[in-house]
Amino acid sequence: MKIRNYWNLRDFGANLWENAGRPVRVAIVLGSILLVGLLPFMGGSILATPIAAFDAVLVYPVGMFVLMSLGLNIVVGKSGMLDLGYVAFFAIGAYTMAYLGTTTNLNTWEIMPIGIALAMIAGVLLGIPTLRLRGDYLAIVTLGFGEIVRLILLNSTWSKGPNGIANIPMPPDLGPLKFELKNQRVFFWVVMAMILLTIWMIRRLTVRRPGRAWEAIRQDEDAAELMGIHTLKYKIWSFTLGAAVGGAAGVLFASKNLYIAPEMFTLNVSILILACVVFGGIGNIWGVVIGAAILGYLPDRIRFISDARLLAFGLVLVVVMNFRPDGLLPRKKREKAIVKREANA
Amino acid sequence: MAKIGKTLLKLDNVTMKFGGVTALNGVNLEVKEGEILALIGPNGAGKTTVFNVITGVYKQTSGVVDFDGISLGDQKRYQVTALGVARTFQNIRLWGDMTALENVITATDVHKKSGLVGALFGFPRARREEEENREKAMEILRFIGIDEYSDRLAKNLPYGVQRRLEIARALGTSPKLVLLDEPAAGFNPAEKVELAATIKRVRDAGYTVLLIEHDMSLIMGISDRVVVLDFGTKIADDIPSVVQNDPRVIEAYLGVPADAS
Repeated sequence: MKIRNYWNLRDFGANLWENAGRPVRVAIVLGSILLVGLLPFMGGSILATPIAAFDAVLVYPVGMFVLMSLGLNIVVGKSGMLDLGYVAFFAIGAYTMAYLGTTTNLNTWEIMPIGIALAMIAGVLLGIPTLRLRGDYLAIVTLGFGEIVRLILLNSTWSKGPNGIANIPMPPDLGPLKFELKNQRVFFWVVMAMILLTIWMIRRLTVRRPGRAWEAIRQDEDAAELMGIHTLKYKIWSFTLGAAVGGAAGVLFASKNLYIAPEMFTLNVSILILACVVFGGIGNIWGVVIGAAILGYLPDRIRFISDARLLAFGLVLVVVMNFRPDGLLPRKKREKAIVKREANA
Repeated sequence: MAKIGKTLLKLDNVTMKFGGVTALNGVNLEVKEGEILALIGPNGAGKTTVFNVITGVYKQTSGVVDFDGISLGDQKRYQVTALGVARTFQNIRLWGDMTALENVITATDVHKKSGLVGALFGFPRARREEEENREKAMEILRFIGIDEYSDRLAKNLPYGVQRRLEIARALGTSPKLVLLDEPAAGFNPAEKVELAATIKRVRDAGYTVLLIEHDMSLIMGISDRVVVLDFGTKIADDIPSVVQNDPRVIEAYLGVPADAS
């Protein structure tokens, strides 16, 4: 019997999960959801953020970063394509909400599928010509795409150019749950639901054929194609699913922020989300969730040191990446078949 | 002993040029159903280029590659595999971060219908296909004799097992024709004997084998026919014992005797 290394959180968690029976698993999942769901009530505790309201910080940046990082992780982590223009899909979702929300009677929930669809269409349109490229070349093209979208928004009349779009409506109430600006816990719960849905989707796909195809493409694309995998199709799917998540995040962001402008969708956002993925552990869902949550939360938590804030933030990044070059929770490299684990589930 | 049947793969006057270099020069080649055909030749003779042309990695400059009545030159790489041609690689190209079993399962996916949506919602067909794939992959690992390694990551496997896993992965795509690119490279004599038996078993199970190999004793022992390439040209095509004594083949490998000129 091997001595368990409790500092290896990834394996510890995986062992715990594998050895648990169905009731224990259900309890773990429900318990975690409940704990995270109660987070907005922790504003008075040590977790409190000094200047920004705690519940607002939980929605943006924390929740949004987690959601977007999960989306980007499908592209970067699962199928190994470096996408530096991810913010474009976020922007497309946000502007769909802003434009339709201010010009039509559609509410947030009705616009959500439209925003997701438009982001996916953009993903396919960008993907078909560019996903034949690999590595650095793909990175440059996506970088350009992100900038193109921002510049179009900056220079179009329907998007009101640099002024941005104001008076975006809030989502309608969900029964007794009211969306309020001064108390954003309902927003947080919606983001949480979207995050859970995304995690469910990724986990489902990962253990089945699409996940295997992505994994094969990431590890050796030529070998994958010669083993009969339609690599372009799966790369486009990966790109499009990532875009869908980004678009969904954008719709909710616009509906929560009530005002958006092109300057919110710069390259910085793409880089920051990518940093969340790398920091947490490329390809590992839980790593990405934790990484994005920390990187979203930290700058607001240490706001009291004002100007030195970004310095401290950068320092944390550098130190952590030095000690854990594969991220906080690295990708699974355990000798357990993914498929086998699914068989027991 | 499997019966040798009709022509499965036919290369008709295939030429492959890279700029000024002619890698293949009007090569004619026929592989018949149920045979083990060995492709030999000195380094740089164009053996791997033949594989790359067949599998669509390169598009031949001229000539026709016909597989079971279909011209492979018009097919995409992944379509060639779906039609029934699978290969291994000279330098091992497994998916290292996947287990041995996953490597084979991923290859078996090629003939499955269920896609992304089925996987997402767990449609019955997707579930059934997952189950079939897993069973079939396990069966192949057993057939090749490496099932004890099924849960190990490919990159952590011993070298010899990796080479065998490459064959297993190729069989995973349910091919009619298996192209083996130097499957015995780096093997010791005992391992080569074992591999020869494996290749024979693969053929006896109904696959047709086209094999690139340097080891003469291995080739002479198992192949039905040997084709010799030299500088991109076919110089011999016959049963092993005849090829072995062909003066042109000896010349290609050993050079012309000093007193012959």
